[in-house]
Amino acid sequence: MNVRSWLIRLYPRPWRERYGEEFDMLLEECLHSPLDVADIVLGAIDAHLEFPFETNWRLMNMVNKLRTMLLIVFTGYIGFIIGGLAFYGLVDDSPMADLMKTGTDIPLSAAWITVEAGAVIALLAIIIGGLPIAWRLLRRAMTSSHQDFKWLLVPVAAFLALVLYFAFEAAVYTGHLPIPGVIQVVSHGNFPIGNRLLLAGSMLVLIVGAIASTAAMWRLLTHADETESPSAAAMGQPSTKLYERAFAPAVIATASMLLMLVATIVWGGLAYASMPQVFAEDWGLLQSNTAASLIAIIAIMALSSVMACVGMARGWSARRTTA
Amino acid sequence: MNLADFGRFSDPALLILASLADGPKHGYGMMSDIETMAGVRLGAGTLYGALARLESSGLIAALPAEDRRRPYQLTAKGATALREQLNLLQKLATTGLKRLATL
Repeated sequence: MNVRSWLIRLYPRPWRERYGEEFDMLLEECLHSPLDVADIVLGAIDAHLEFPFETNWRLMNMVNKLRTMLLIVFTGYIGFIIGGLAFYGLVDDSPMADLMKTGTDIPLSAAWITVEAGAVIALLAIIIGGLPIAWRLLRRAMTSSHQDFKWLLVPVAAFLALVLYFAFEAAVYTGHLPIPGVIQVVSHGNFPIGNRLLLAGSMLVLIVGAIASTAAMWRLLTHADETESPSAAAMGQPSTKLYERAFAPAVIATASMLLMLVATIVWGGLAYASMPQVFAEDWGLLQSNTAASLIAIIAIMALSSVMACVGMARGWSARRTTA
Repeated sequence: MNLADFGRFSDPALLILASLADGPKHGYGMMSDIETMAGVRLGAGTLYGALARLESSGLIAALPAEDRRRPYQLTAKGATALREQLNLLQKLATTGLKRLATL
């Protein structure tokens, strides 16, 4: 650790989180004499003693942590959606779906319904918590920060790309746009490589769009707070109130993800108990092995849920330290 | 907002406001400008002690960081505070010079 790092560590943590990086850059250019060191030590003592400013920094720190918490939960949710869609793709048209349709395996159907209910609750929570923030970003882009528009257009462009790809797929499957190697009617036993590539393309468009949209949200929200006066953001509140209000929906969304994860694992166990042979076959995504596909899906859901839980823990600690 | 509330940081705060009056600057830019403008070399600890207070009071605002350097700009409230403070100093200078002339 160099002298600069030691000197910066003399300052209180909230101060370092706010000014540490730029202060380090300044010291790189102007730390020449023992007098400079003495001035920094006095500055650090002052930062520890000045209670009102300390309070402001704590609030600013809370705003940052709440924002990061919401963004992490949102990222986890997007990851979970990808896992959830893959799960739906695995079950759809498989012997497991037929088993649930017959209504003979009630626990299996109950686990599936739990996943569906969790998906609806999580979606509603994300909409309730996210809409006011999205509205604030849109208003900001329209009134004061026009360059934000390009970032707001990313999710729209991602959605349009997916719609266009689906239209392209529809044209192929209806015979309006014949492609060599792609057949119009596929079944489990007849799913050529051309059709698999077509399906893989839609997954790719979905995943790339989801990643780009999530990255745009991170950029937009972080930039929106950076360009406001930090003291205004902390005390004058446009973001503080919004983030506080989004806390409860974020808790519900995270709890729903955990519920869906557990329900998916239970569903997998029950499905295996009812028809173990299906798990040795290739009902998985792009006709991969069923068991391997389900394990991959559960891994994606688990990672996304852990991510959301980490975000929640961060938000929780921020609220507790400022309570 | 009275800069006197900043205690030992009131003079550095005034220098920072005056420096930002001709456009946004980052820490090192302010330091160099103040040295040129007033012949005062602020230490990094003093600069950031005053800067944090100014920001907390809404007299200056941070802009997005550029390569680890964060520029700051004067807010409308900061411009008003600077104007009031400079008018006060001008009145003081005028009165002081008048009195000196009678010696």
